[in-house]
Amino acid sequence: MTQYITLIASLPPLGQLFEAKQTPISQLKLESRLKMLSPKDSILLNQIASLIAWSQQPMERSDAQFIAEAKQFFKEVKNPTLRKIVEYRLTLRTIVAALRRRHRGERNPPAVQPWGVGRWVNYIERHWAEPGFHLEVIFPWVLEANHLLNANESVAFERLQFEVNWKMIERLGAGHYFDFEAVVIYLMRWSMVDRWTRYDGSGELAVERFRKLVDEGMGQFTDLFAQNS
Amino acid sequence: MKGHEYLSVLGWLGIYLPVALGAIGASIGCTLAGQAAIGAMMELEGGYGRYVGLSALPSSMSIYGIVVMFILNRPVTVENAGGLFGIGVGAGLTFMLCAIYQGICCASAIAASKAKPEIFGLSLAPAAIVEGFAVFAFVFALVTAGGLN
Repeated sequence: MTQYITLIASLPPLGQLFEAKQTPISQLKLESRLKMLSPKDSILLNQIASLIAWSQQPMERSDAQFIAEAKQFFKEVKNPTLRKIVEYRLTLRTIVAALRRRHRGERNPPAVQPWGVGRWVNYIERHWAEPGFHLEVIFPWVLEANHLLNANESVAFERLQFEVNWKMIERLGAGHYFDFEAVVIYLMRWSMVDRWTRYDGSGELAVERFRKLVDEGMGQFTDLFAQNS
Repeated sequence: MKGHEYLSVLGWLGIYLPVALGAIGASIGCTLAGQAAIGAMMELEGGYGRYVGLSALPSSMSIYGIVVMFILNRPVTVENAGGLFGIGVGAGLTFMLCAIYQGICCASAIAASKAKPEIFGLSLAPAAIVEGFAVFAFVFALVTAGGLN
């Protein structure tokens, strides 16, 4: 515990996601502070980041490789909070990937290739034709996400994902103040603030540019699983 | 070792443990709170004094331990050894645990008031409550010590 107190206390508060104009601490400064972590924690942090941080997704990594890495993570890591964080994030990606696949015209789930991670993959495949994959009770935001995607509301769709992620992180962060989980949660929130403030930019022009980029990206990439936050 | 020699050892432990355990707890508590203060100082531009001051709060537990030790300090006999051990160990453990948890309270108060300086006073409440419990143990250690030979 003691090794995390200085680090956590040295990090500025992030505030609310959609109210932020910029990150309260720069990436350079943040990386410098993270040097306080032990080598073992740094390795685990990188392992988590390689699974959930969008900026650390190598383009050459296939979905099958990604799924193998995720399985390896769950085999090695026993910390319940870290497992829940990664599991929820990957579940959200899996659902969004399924929504995007269906949106681009796939009438059936992928038959052979692996396309998602977690316990809901088979369930989604069985309920592929239903608007919310019959997941509305567990994930109430699915129907709204489906609606926004079908309406080509890329920014609102992205915003919804941010909201869902932010709330999940807040919930899982309860009770973690001076431990490794608190560090991971802070970094996840920082990453979201960083990404959102970049998206938000300077009003309409930035939003329009982002919308265009997202639409172009959706057209270009066939492998959608790795594209979601 | 004979029975009365065991009792003698217990008696001396009872006399010294309030200081030892209080000092151990205070050092851990001050370390926890001090680390938070250092972290806050890395982020803030000023107002360091109050964080350093707050991080020293758990040191009061070692002072309580010293006072209890002085009160208990007397020739150890077969009659008073058990009493010295009970009071000394009970008070010492209380001071040690209170100091550790007070250090955690102080670290949280430092981290929270760094983000919202206006809650600095209020954020001290948990640490003050823990101090209150330690004072209970301290006062009643003095009261019960009055009944020893």
